[in-house]
Amino acid sequence: MKKYQLGEFEEVVLLTVGVLYDEAYGVSIKKEIETRLTRNVSVGALQTALKRLEDKGYLKSREGEATEERAGRPKKYFQITALGKRAMEYTKDTRDELWSAIPNMALNPKFVEE
Amino acid sequence: MKKNRTNPPKFFLRFFRWFCHPKLRNHIEGDLMELYDERAKESGKRNADLKFITDVLLLFRPGIIKPAEGYKNLNTYGMYKSYFKIVWRNLLRQKMYSFIKVGGLAMGIAACLLISLFIKDELSYDQQYLNGKRIFRVVGVVKNKGEVMAFSTFQAPFAKSVKDDYPEIEQVGRLNAVELFGAGNKEFRRADVEDNSYDEGFAYADPTLLEIFQIPMVFGNASKALDAPNTIVLSKRKAEKYFPNEDPVGKLVILNNDEKNPLTVGGVMQDYPSNTHFQFDFLITLKGKEFWPGEQTSWCCDNYQTYLLLSEGADPKVLASKVTASSIEKYYLPKMLEDGVPNAREILKNAHLEFQPVSNIHLDSEIKDGLSHGNRNTLWLFGGIAVFILIIACINFINLYTARSANRAKEVGLRKVTGSLRSNLINQFLTESIFFSILSFVLAVALAAALLPFFNSLAGKSLTVPWSDWWLLPVFLAAAIVVGFFAGLYPAFYLSGFKPIEVIKGNVARGSRSSQMRSFLVVFQFTVSIVLIVGTFVTYRQMNFILNKKIGFDKDQVLLLHGANTLDKKVFTLKDELLRLPQVKSASISDFLPVRGTKRNGNTFWNKGKVKIDRGVTGQNWEVDVDYIKTMGMKIADGRDFISNKSTDSLGVIINQSMAKALGLKEPVGNEITNNNGDGKQYTVIGVVEDFHFESMKETIGPLMLRLSFSPNIVSVKVNNADMHEAINSITDVWKKFSMHQPIRYSFLDQNYAMMYQDVERSGRIFTSFAVLAVVIACLGLFALSAFMVEQRGKEISVRLVLGASVKNVFRLLTFNFVKLVLIAFVIATPLAWYIMNQWLQDFAYKTEIGWDIFLTTGILSVVIAVLTISYQSVRAALMNPVSNLRSE
Repeated sequence: MKKYQLGEFEEVVLLTVGVLYDEAYGVSIKKEIETRLTRNVSVGALQTALKRLEDKGYLKSREGEATEERAGRPKKYFQITALGKRAMEYTKDTRDELWSAIPNMALNPKFVEE
Repeated sequence: MKKNRTNPPKFFLRFFRWFCHPKLRNHIEGDLMELYDERAKESGKRNADLKFITDVLLLFRPGIIKPAEGYKNLNTYGMYKSYFKIVWRNLLRQKMYSFIKVGGLAMGIAACLLISLFIKDELSYDQQYLNGKRIFRVVGVVKNKGEVMAFSTFQAPFAKSVKDDYPEIEQVGRLNAVELFGAGNKEFRRADVEDNSYDEGFAYADPTLLEIFQIPMVFGNASKALDAPNTIVLSKRKAEKYFPNEDPVGKLVILNNDEKNPLTVGGVMQDYPSNTHFQFDFLITLKGKEFWPGEQTSWCCDNYQTYLLLSEGADPKVLASKVTASSIEKYYLPKMLEDGVPNAREILKNAHLEFQPVSNIHLDSEIKDGLSHGNRNTLWLFGGIAVFILIIACINFINLYTARSANRAKEVGLRKVTGSLRSNLINQFLTESIFFSILSFVLAVALAAALLPFFNSLAGKSLTVPWSDWWLLPVFLAAAIVVGFFAGLYPAFYLSGFKPIEVIKGNVARGSRSSQMRSFLVVFQFTVSIVLIVGTFVTYRQMNFILNKKIGFDKDQVLLLHGANTLDKKVFTLKDELLRLPQVKSASISDFLPVRGTKRNGNTFWNKGKVKIDRGVTGQNWEVDVDYIKTMGMKIADGRDFISNKSTDSLGVIINQSMAKALGLKEPVGNEITNNNGDGKQYTVIGVVEDFHFESMKETIGPLMLRLSFSPNIVSVKVNNADMHEAINSITDVWKKFSMHQPIRYSFLDQNYAMMYQDVERSGRIFTSFAVLAVVIACLGLFALSAFMVEQRGKEISVRLVLGASVKNVFRLLTFNFVKLVLIAFVIATPLAWYIMNQWLQDFAYKTEIGWDIFLTTGILSVVIAVLTISYQSVRAALMNPVSNLRSE
């Protein structure tokens, strides 16, 4: 059984929320990912991921200020929870473990000449 | 600034707002607007619009769209969920009470289900005919001095004459199932086989009968199968027995070894469903059949069941009265005047015809037609018992609910304090009881299915649970809800009426408030139980009375050999051979025996010379042989028995006392009597035999005449007190010498006699089962109530014990209240049971007394049962260590 369910995109979003720390809301997360990873992120994909992460308890949110560019709609700021942090660590650890388990040969193949 | 603001495409914005989950809507819309604003500034409105649309469309995905069933709890689903959770916890916490609640109700419901199946089956008779609404049987009703007699047999030409007279009668068909004519059982074999084999279910039928009933045919054609003289139709199962894997149409069969008159198979009928009155496996055509010369045109004797198919729209009542008037005028009156029947007009004035719908035949048990019937009274009785058992079970439910209310009182109080309305609480308790009821139903269905074989043998039926019927589930569910609703109604109102303050202060007298109601319900339960127990005793006593009553003949040690008619005259030699056996005391050749299922011949008798003057006596005319009275162990009351080789005895007859009385003969011996056979024979009475029962004891012993004649179907053999097994072996050896191709077939007279009273035995067994069930359910309730009482009065008992009360004192204290209730129930039940069982006994002409001892036994029995039930709890309470109960304070 998987201990922590975290998809690839979800991981990216989670990390980005961490990067942005206090300024993580929909548009800022989107822009951050787009600039850092140079990949296009649709609002739909992002919001779905955010909702899923919140449902899983990896993120918590708070209501923010409403600005005029947002036509008076409030921002929703996200923050990583303790559980989210553990999930991130778990993912990282498993990656590291796998990395370290790869034998040298596999990544730096040397061909022995006859 | 506001004016400069560009707006995204309205339609898509609205679309987004419509589909988006309301909790997400605000901030996502904010994000969208922010992005749109930015993009519009950077790359123009057109581009921003496009991107906005893409974003909206990409947002249209499962995580974002609001759920279809709504996001807010507009219903009370959650509340009900919590109700169920509470029920489940209560159920698990109080295992014994829950078990009694559910188990008792399940038993009651199971009994109800079985009885409903039974009633449904009884009501389903003869519903399968396509033209069922138009098929009728003619019934004659005669009133005589306040007595009403109904019969269903008519003269041979009656059917044809009414059909000719009335075009509304589309078809007529007659059935002759009279044993005297050879219907009933026969020896049967294919013409190409030598061995006879015995079979039952023969009858003579008009070819049209197959069409009236629209009997589906496997082979042959319904409209032609019986058209030719000497044809026979078999049922499918019999065809498979005698003609496996072949089409028997056109094959020859031989009945009773009569090789001169073989019958041709005209067709094979589909087997009838078991719920039809018409149960024959062999129908022999009446076409071209005459049982004696002129029989088919004679208005003398009524032997034919007459079925009618009326045309569409014909009114059976109107038609029946028209047929009554015209057939009396045209046929019956002239015939009776010709016979010189005195006051013929007056007799006929009190007679009329009725057309009985075919679907009523099974339950109209008062019509004498020789069929086995259901009985409407039995249906009512059963239905009543079912309802009462269900009520008893529901009472347990109610009692336990209210008794344990103290345990729920705090819950009720708290719920009220936190804002629950009374209606909410009523809802909650009704939900609980419906939940319990559904649980019980599930259990009950399983229980009923498991008990069905037992019930079938009890009721003499072959019922099955109609699992595959579409209505089963909805009906059960609806019934469960109704039962749960009614059982829960009183407790719901009672429990929801608690005042929160009192409850939370602890002021509710623990469960005592409804104790009157509970006492009343316990009394009711025991009243029903006691009535059923008395019913059981009375039916068994009547059964014993019948089986042990002096019946006027000796039914023990008599062996009946059936099917001897195939030996023809050789049967006399058989009798002689049998008499030579040391084990055989005597033997007699006669088909007329004082048990059901043997031949009967109803005649009218007069004293000599009174034929056209007196009204005549209806009675039996039996053909016996010289040794009959000796073999049957009957007693001669006056005159003498038949003497062999005495030529005068060919016209000498022996009558029974009832006949002598009916004919008004003070000194019958030497008198001459005559019957309506039309041969003008005068019989001289040579002796009078003591009355013996030859019909069920439901009827009084009728007039009877015995005369010497030849009726060789059955040979009765009276065996010495020797080993019966050995006797049968030697008799079988003798039989084999005579009849190679027909296996011996025998029965015992006492068993045949007991068979006549199967229905009494059956009602006895049914009463027993239901009485046991009712008592068990009532005791379950009593047990739970006493357990509850001990629980509630625990402290009181402990204090009493500490202050020096003995175990006996405590036991008496706890038991007396309940015994009082049982005694009250007994007082109520006694007259009720007496009345009901008296009604039941009215069916019998010869009946036992309902003595006071039955009531005494029942009273003692019910008190003992009740005390035993309570004593477990009372004794436990009395033996308890008082400290354990008092320590907590």
